[in-house]
Amino acid sequence: MTTQSIISFIRNNLIIVGIFILAIITAIVEPNFLTTENLQNIMRQFGPLIMLSLGMTFIIMGGFIDLSVGGIISLVAVVTVSLIDPIGQVAALLVGITVGLICGLINSFLIIKGGALKQAEALFLTYGMSVVYTAIALIYTGAASVFLSYSKTSFSIFTAIGEGFVGPVSVTFVIFMVCLLILYIIESRTYIGRSISLTGGNMTAARLAGIPTERTIVFIYAVCGIMAAIGAVVLASRVTIASPIMGKGYETQAILAVVVGGTALLGGKGSVIRTVIGTLLIIMMSNCLNLLGVTTYIQYMLRGAILILAIWLDNRKQYSEGY
Amino acid sequence: MDKTPSEPILEIKTVSKSFPGVKALDKVSLEVFRGAIHGIVGENGAGKSTLMKILSGVYQKDSGEIIFDGNKIEKITPIESMKMGLSIIYQELNLVNTMTVGENIFLGRFSEMGGRKGVHTKARMLLDSIGCKIDTQKEVSELSVSDKQMIEIAKALSFDSKLIIMDEPSSSLTADEMKELIKIIHDLKNKGISIIYISHKLDEIFDFCDVVTVMRDGHMIDTRDISAITRNEMISMMVGRTIENEYPPRPNYVGETILEVENVNTKILKNVHLNLRKGEILGFVGLVGSGRTEIVRAIFGADNVKNKSIKLDGKSININNPIDAINHGFAMVPEDRKIQGLLLQFSVEKNISLASLGELTYYGFLNEKEEKAISERQIRSLNIKTPSGKTRIQMLSGGNQQKAILGRWLELKPKILVLDEPTKGIDVGAKYEIYMLMKQIVENGGSIILISSELPEVLNMSNRVITICNGRITGEFDPLQASADEIMEKAFEF
Repeated sequence: MTTQSIISFIRNNLIIVGIFILAIITAIVEPNFLTTENLQNIMRQFGPLIMLSLGMTFIIMGGFIDLSVGGIISLVAVVTVSLIDPIGQVAALLVGITVGLICGLINSFLIIKGGALKQAEALFLTYGMSVVYTAIALIYTGAASVFLSYSKTSFSIFTAIGEGFVGPVSVTFVIFMVCLLILYIIESRTYIGRSISLTGGNMTAARLAGIPTERTIVFIYAVCGIMAAIGAVVLASRVTIASPIMGKGYETQAILAVVVGGTALLGGKGSVIRTVIGTLLIIMMSNCLNLLGVTTYIQYMLRGAILILAIWLDNRKQYSEGY
Repeated sequence: MDKTPSEPILEIKTVSKSFPGVKALDKVSLEVFRGAIHGIVGENGAGKSTLMKILSGVYQKDSGEIIFDGNKIEKITPIESMKMGLSIIYQELNLVNTMTVGENIFLGRFSEMGGRKGVHTKARMLLDSIGCKIDTQKEVSELSVSDKQMIEIAKALSFDSKLIIMDEPSSSLTADEMKELIKIIHDLKNKGISIIYISHKLDEIFDFCDVVTVMRDGHMIDTRDISAITRNEMISMMVGRTIENEYPPRPNYVGETILEVENVNTKILKNVHLNLRKGEILGFVGLVGSGRTEIVRAIFGADNVKNKSIKLDGKSININNPIDAINHGFAMVPEDRKIQGLLLQFSVEKNISLASLGELTYYGFLNEKEEKAISERQIRSLNIKTPSGKTRIQMLSGGNQQKAILGRWLELKPKILVLDEPTKGIDVGAKYEIYMLMKQIVENGGSIILISSELPEVLNMSNRVITICNGRITGEFDPLQASADEIMEKAFEF
């Protein structure tokens, strides 16, 4: 590698390099960083967020945005947890995932029928839906939290998801790998996967060339809804409680993870693999900052700054190869 | 013709400019005289736009010298160049659609003009001076393209411009609007303002330019008085070789009726009926906004028009969206290449394979090997000039981009191909290649609907012409029998 190519690598991957430097500094200053316990801690936070981020990747690649995932998480969590005792854990799990799917379908239906086919319009529309889903969750529980109880079974799926291990890896990690593999194959090998990036690249041109753009929109919102529901189950299993506002703030974190990973915010280009890196990076960053004693409020500010930086860097890049 | 004044307002001396991998301008020299209309012609990629962007301060030159109105120009910003008296009117107009005419003319200079009231009074005066009657309180989004052009000219005048550069102003104007523009250009000339007029339309250059400069591949080939050059000379200088004809011999393979369209009614279209025969090229003549594009969009399912009747080979078919149309063997090269045709950030390969993806899918999975083969085949057979299939299509010239879109559809061997402004903004050489392709398509039994604002193109390529005005079909002609005047009269039958 020549000096010049190193410089251009750093320039094109400023955020990744920056966070690695932060991690190295933290590792030197704070010996707790490299302990097994801390790394497990990082992986635990990784669990719920990565599910959302994977779903959000398809949405953003398709040129859209979904701010409703926070609301979907809250709704799915309270519905699933509250139904475990009345209908059993498997049925509760299925109902939860179905609720996520239905939320995604409602979003896409409103976007298509409402003609909110621009990213900005979808942003407002899904923001509105986030409020609606959260409100339903609040009404459903009477604004109370629901505790995850294991009263009827000796073995619980939820305990397994929250704490269980398969050999050396956690159950959450296995779920993540399965989701990643499926989504990666869809993205890189299938017709619908290609339709997503084409729709994100130029919806008008794609439609006129026979790409089923409306079906693609339904697909990405459905996937996002399902992934948000899986994220909700993972999250509730870990914290053993479901609150009707527990999803708040997750949507911005997921968007941040996707964009930091290098998926273009305006659509067309991206990959779930990049999102895995993006998610790891932002969790590692907040972990480092916590260990270094930086307050949460400053961390919020940094997150905003990084989002802006990521968008700016992407706009600045000159591509000669096509997507 | 007026005598050419002798003092130059602009001198460009051996200006060069390189971009990574391309020498866009190579020691270009040029003089523009005061009060002259100076045409610049050249194929896409000849360096015209780069030169203009250097003049307006969008790019910086690498070497050479530019003297404008006696002052040497080194580094300037676009605003500074306007204040010096050098304005550019770009092909893509730079107006704020949601603001009024007056506000657009004095954008960013409201306080200098004495607030809103002053803006509108002064805008009125400017518009009157070019004989333009548009209401200054009107929102720009409500204006036609030609009106917008007038606003741009008024804006240029508001800076006391001494030189106005017009970059293909006519590409979206109709014949009548063009006459308006020519009148204004002459008025400007009489006021002593110099004009640089860039155009692909050679007729215009001969109509009203005093001097013409031909550019090719970043070089200035020649500058001559318009009386000292012939059309054929100009074309061969542009393409670097001699082109015998602008159009190939008219193909004639017309057979049985293949398509019958009836009862197309929308807000714009009124009871449109038409038919198309196998192997026929059917030309549409009409103004922008006449409904000519809406007709083909309705047929292709791009707009969902209810209750229309379409018969293909005598059988009724339903077309509710482009997918239906494609499945029945229709294809459409849309009007606006960049917005409706291309995925600019995607590779040439993916732009070509776009319409064939369905054919390449097995149980939901794409066969990327076949995809690559398709693209390579089209790149070769259409002679698309690109470094590789992986290159961003944005990097290609307009002609090659258009050929890629054609390749996208030819792969499907369409029965009916709609070409909406297929040669807009494309240079002479690439145009000829597209005409040859059209010929090939009808030879192989395909049918073509050709929409074009360039009347000669429609008249020379079509087997039959229909005129469209105000959403109605107003006439049908055999281009061999009818005169251009007869046809245009019908196209203006409101």
